Amino acid sequence: MVVAGADVGTECVKAIVATGDGKVVGRAVVPTRGYFQDCFQEAMSNALGEAQAQVSDLRSLVVTGFGASCAAMATQTTTETLCHARGAFHHLQKPMTLVDIGGRDPRVVRVDERGAVLSVKSVRKCAVGIGTFLMFTSRHLDVHPTRLMDLATTAGKPARVGSYCSVFAEVEVIELLRSGATAGEIALGAMYSVADRIMEMDRLEGPVMISGGVCEYFPGVVKALGERSGCPVEIIPEPIMAGALGAALYALDSARGG
Amino acid sequence: MASTPRAAEAPLASGARLKEVMGAHFAGVDRAARERSAPVAWCTSVGPVELLRALGYQVFFPENHGALLGATRMANEVMGRAHALGYSPDICSYLTSDIGSYLQGKTPLQRHGLSGAPRADLLLYSTNQCREVRDWFEFYGREWNVPVVGVTSFRDVGEVEPHHVDAIVRQLEGLVPTLESVAGRRLEGPRLEEAVALSRTSSDLWKSCLRAGAARPAALTFFDGTIHMGPAVVLRGTQEACDYYRLLEAELQARVRAGAGALPRERFRIYWDGMPVWGRLRDLGALFARLETSVVASTYCNSWVFDALDPRDPLRSMAQASLELFIARAEGPKHRYLESMVREFSVDGVLFHDSRTCPNNSNARFGLPQRLRRATGTPVLVIDGDLNDLRCFSDEQAHTNIEGFVEQLEGAGPRAPVSA
Repeated sequence: MVVAGADVGTECVKAIVATGDGKVVGRAVVPTRGYFQDCFQEAMSNALGEAQAQVSDLRSLVVTGFGASCAAMATQTTTETLCHARGAFHHLQKPMTLVDIGGRDPRVVRVDERGAVLSVKSVRKCAVGIGTFLMFTSRHLDVHPTRLMDLATTAGKPARVGSYCSVFAEVEVIELLRSGATAGEIALGAMYSVADRIMEMDRLEGPVMISGGVCEYFPGVVKALGERSGCPVEIIPEPIMAGALGAALYALDSARGG
Repeated sequence: MASTPRAAEAPLASGARLKEVMGAHFAGVDRAARERSAPVAWCTSVGPVELLRALGYQVFFPENHGALLGATRMANEVMGRAHALGYSPDICSYLTSDIGSYLQGKTPLQRHGLSGAPRADLLLYSTNQCREVRDWFEFYGREWNVPVVGVTSFRDVGEVEPHHVDAIVRQLEGLVPTLESVAGRRLEGPRLEEAVALSRTSSDLWKSCLRAGAARPAALTFFDGTIHMGPAVVLRGTQEACDYYRLLEAELQARVRAGAGALPRERFRIYWDGMPVWGRLRDLGALFARLETSVVASTYCNSWVFDALDPRDPLRSMAQASLELFIARAEGPKHRYLESMVREFSVDGVLFHDSRTCPNNSNARFGLPQRLRRATGTPVLVIDGDLNDLRCFSDEQAHTNIEGFVEQLEGAGPRAPVSA
């Protein structure tokens, strides 16, 4: 028996295929470009290929994320909060404050000793897209997003990128370039800006764990968050896959009749 | 247009004395809180402070602290702590800055030798300006387990009627037992009359200082005014405020007599409505100086002018003054007031600052700028921003709009510059 979980996000679609005993045997990450349906199909196909399985082998498929409603073959859809909390708790098995930072809307989730979600705070409307904001910043700095972190490590101090409106923040980046700030300082400033937005959402109390794609590609955000909060902040294993893993675990519950 | 700032306004010599006066104020309240030598109250900036003065309180004004947090650009470093506690980024950024500062233990008052804002024995508000002040004070009331009392005032008042005044007087009278109990003394009529007399005197002197902006060239601008208004806020009802404004008034009158302006050259004259953008005072001052445009008057600086105060009828005149405040009025009286200021200060244009987190002190949301333009023929400009939260302010957008506005004034006809 195999089950699958998928997280159809605004920046990437993540898919995991697991066996009946919970062992992950296939995984895939596909950039979200064009229609969610196509990206989802591609990710599922890749994950099933790695697992040497076919769609017909799936006993259950749980899908989460912004584009979950576009996955027609899903047997169930579940919220991102529950899936990320489940994925993170699977790794850690302890209470935590989970900060999920994806492309669209970050959230702070408090998880108890049983893995249950106690509370969730999401970012306010004006500050959505803060992961995507880093992509915009890369464009203005004329580097590929994967190079933004390298650039940030060249800076001694972050430039101040303060706006919580992504559009205004982009203008700030342009103003900083005009005023002579280095690309590294702006790259680092953009990461601190993301950390500052998260600090405004809820009080962070340890242990603070991070999931989502942003920390995988931009670990400077994690460092900035640790510095701003004064708490030790750690990244869960395979942070970008946390939502898909949680979805796969719910799929396993479903297949087992849970 | 290049945006290189140029040396701005000629500094006022009184500035040195201002620093001493403000420093002594902070030190005095802090000492009273630490040594328990006098009761300490927090009061809203246009609250009934005269009652506190008459009862011997040392008084701290957290809005002044909010402005300091903004002017030092510390506000955005600390306000996130208040947001995380559930105080929305959409509410007053003085409130969120001040509470964030308390939670983070970081304040510009440390530059004055204080470890933080002095702890209060009592907090006294008036909602004549907004509801936020009450919520703000209640946070500290819970933190310190001290009384929070105040006046729930009328808002959007058209004409101030006797029944409005009666209602506020009754509330002021109702405050007295609690204020007396915390102070440990009785309110004496002569002391209240003295406090009201001092408030009125300092208010008159401050008004006279602001009139220096009506001279051509203007001897005082809004940007100077926002700094020199400190004693009008935190020392209202004291001799120190009167002494300071006598000094400033003399200096400004000397400037006017000498035909000296705050700017080296003045081509245009602007009126500023709404809150200052505290974190950008210097930048905006330099921008207007480069554009040879004096911001000659403002609603904001005039908010601490209380013409109604009368020591012969202290409580009733305090009530009247609190109700006559611009911020507490309906659009009709606001319109009339702005029209009179346009005439009195001979302004070429009116700038409305739409402050994101201060809707009560933003007057561009119900068509007032457009009506004022129609009534007076004076061009108007609305800029978006905030008093403290610089995330709501775009330098580029504001500069471009202001530069475009001055170009618009230039297009209205040549003006002979007035040199200082």
